[in-house]
Amino acid sequence: MFESLQHLATGFTIAGTVQNLLYCLIGAIVGTLIGVLPGIGPIAGIALLIPATFSLNPTSAIIMLAGIYYGAMYGGSTTSILLNVPGETASVITCIDGYQMAQKGRAGPALAICAIGSFIAGTIGLFGLVFLAPPLAEAALAFGPPEYFSLMIFGFIVLSNVTGTSLLKALMMATVGLIIGTIGLDPVTGDARFVFGSTYLLGGIEFVAVAIGLFGIGEVLTNVHQPQELLDQRVTVPRFRDLYPSLQDLKKSIASILRGAGIGFGVGLVPGPAPVIATYSSYMIERKISKHPEEFGKGAIEGVAGPESANNSACQSAFIPLFVLGIPFAPPTAILLGALLIHGVSPGPLLISQHPGLFWGVIASMYIGNFILLILNLPFVPLFANILRIPKKILLPLVILFCITGMYTVNNSIPDIWVMLLFGALGFLMRKWAYEGAPLLLALVLGPRLEIAFRQSLMISHGDFGIFINRPISMVFLLATVLFLIIPLIRMTLKKQRKEGGL
Amino acid sequence: MKILKRDEAIVGVVIFLFGAITTFLSLKMPIGTLRMAGTGFFPLCLGILLMILSAAFVLKLLVQHKKDVIQKEVVAKTPGVIRQMGLFLGAMVLATLFFNELGYPLTSFLLMAALLWSLGMKRWVFNLLLSFITAGASYFLFVQWLKIPLPKGWIGL
Repeated sequence: MFESLQHLATGFTIAGTVQNLLYCLIGAIVGTLIGVLPGIGPIAGIALLIPATFSLNPTSAIIMLAGIYYGAMYGGSTTSILLNVPGETASVITCIDGYQMAQKGRAGPALAICAIGSFIAGTIGLFGLVFLAPPLAEAALAFGPPEYFSLMIFGFIVLSNVTGTSLLKALMMATVGLIIGTIGLDPVTGDARFVFGSTYLLGGIEFVAVAIGLFGIGEVLTNVHQPQELLDQRVTVPRFRDLYPSLQDLKKSIASILRGAGIGFGVGLVPGPAPVIATYSSYMIERKISKHPEEFGKGAIEGVAGPESANNSACQSAFIPLFVLGIPFAPPTAILLGALLIHGVSPGPLLISQHPGLFWGVIASMYIGNFILLILNLPFVPLFANILRIPKKILLPLVILFCITGMYTVNNSIPDIWVMLLFGALGFLMRKWAYEGAPLLLALVLGPRLEIAFRQSLMISHGDFGIFINRPISMVFLLATVLFLIIPLIRMTLKKQRKEGGL
Repeated sequence: MKILKRDEAIVGVVIFLFGAITTFLSLKMPIGTLRMAGTGFFPLCLGILLMILSAAFVLKLLVQHKKDVIQKEVVAKTPGVIRQMGLFLGAMVLATLFFNELGYPLTSFLLMAALLWSLGMKRWVFNLLLSFITAGASYFLFVQWLKIPLPKGWIGL
């Protein structure tokens, strides 16, 4: 432990140089701006700015790119809260209660609690990263295809339980998402599926297009499908004293922040889109243990504090498998891996001994970056909250312009915009018929990994499905899945019996 | 918004058909064996699963239908809203169709003007001025500052 602290101190001296502090600051600011623009998430943001780091040394380059990463994650939450447009998939859950808070004139507290929660979770994540990285990375090595499969199934059920009122509807949407995820090349054999002769479809459906379509365009269309009188209505604009969380808000949020940080850190270590799973799991747990679960979905601050902390914490711990194993478990860390390789650094078990300056410098810079984000973002809360002052008739076209621009920038592709518009129309219809978009989106992201894990597991077991219950970790996830399916049914039956008894 | 159960059932049937089409198309691909699953195996499982889920959903609605009184849908379907929606969607579709030819600055200007107009911003001077400022600001942000390659179109900007 003492040795780790010594290394961390060295890291702070490296990250604390004027040059690295400047790059960290630039990264955090640019990342926040990128995240705030609907449509451009951390993936596109990091990818777009890698060329700008070519002239820097590897440590400064990764410090700046990491700054862009967590800056964009924070910025993505801002658009989720204010416009119901998630900058990236991890912010989808923030839309549920964050947007509702904004609609009730509480955008300020929602944004501020995001900044505070992210900072606390980042601090916890940093210490976890320093002290637990080696043993936890070893534990993550025990995950094979059956464990990945069971973990992802668990994620789907958790998600289906949290969103909406109908479990059946959520499961149907998850299955539709999985089917859409099979479009393109078979991840195992490389054969084309459901492409109907189109070269565009060979690459699969771009999940950013689906995300912006379902959530951004879908929300805008829902607003447009209103009579003029409703369009002219202004959203409640918060008073200055209402821009920051009250003491009661902080009291309500602190436990959620701590739980979110713990969940996020643990989930960040395992494969899959960790921030996504972490935010959903955190939200689910917050709703389950809340004394007022009925407030969730209607603007509960715990529904913002927990998932946002989990998101930030998961982003930090996602660096462990990247640095220690050289395996990125999420798209943004995959791009960071590419950036490391471009700079001549090969992450893996030898990274700490071969590039200690880079490893500890980047870790220390994460803490500095989190602090910069906190002091940058809290004063900007009133500015961001004032976006709501813009009349809907102006804001809606602006969102559409940013969505189309943002979508085009991801792959410089017009077909991506068509896909986005198509899913926008679908998102509108889904809202009309009370179907949730989140299960579809998560299934689309996880689909290919789920299929690989499923098929590899069956290959290992020679076609025996018992492999999923014979392996302890996999069995635990499946048992948890069954529990999550059964508990709501038992609750519902008991409630019904009580109701009938009362009558 | 109250949803008519009959319409919900129709949505369920559409989802069932989507599952059925997926199953049908999957069967045209190599299915393989459990030990060595083929390309069509996973989508086949998903297609069947979707059919089961949607069938259960429709059946549940039918059972409830017998117990409950049908809810009436209360949605304002005024011609104005439909026209507004049509114009808004049309502007987005046209902007995407001519994005490459017109280029980013011109497309963003025309798109903004059309969207604002479709939402009832009929003061032309204000509408055009706002569209011009927005198009100019987004051009400088994305093209000049972030150096993102966006279509230049025939005006070459």
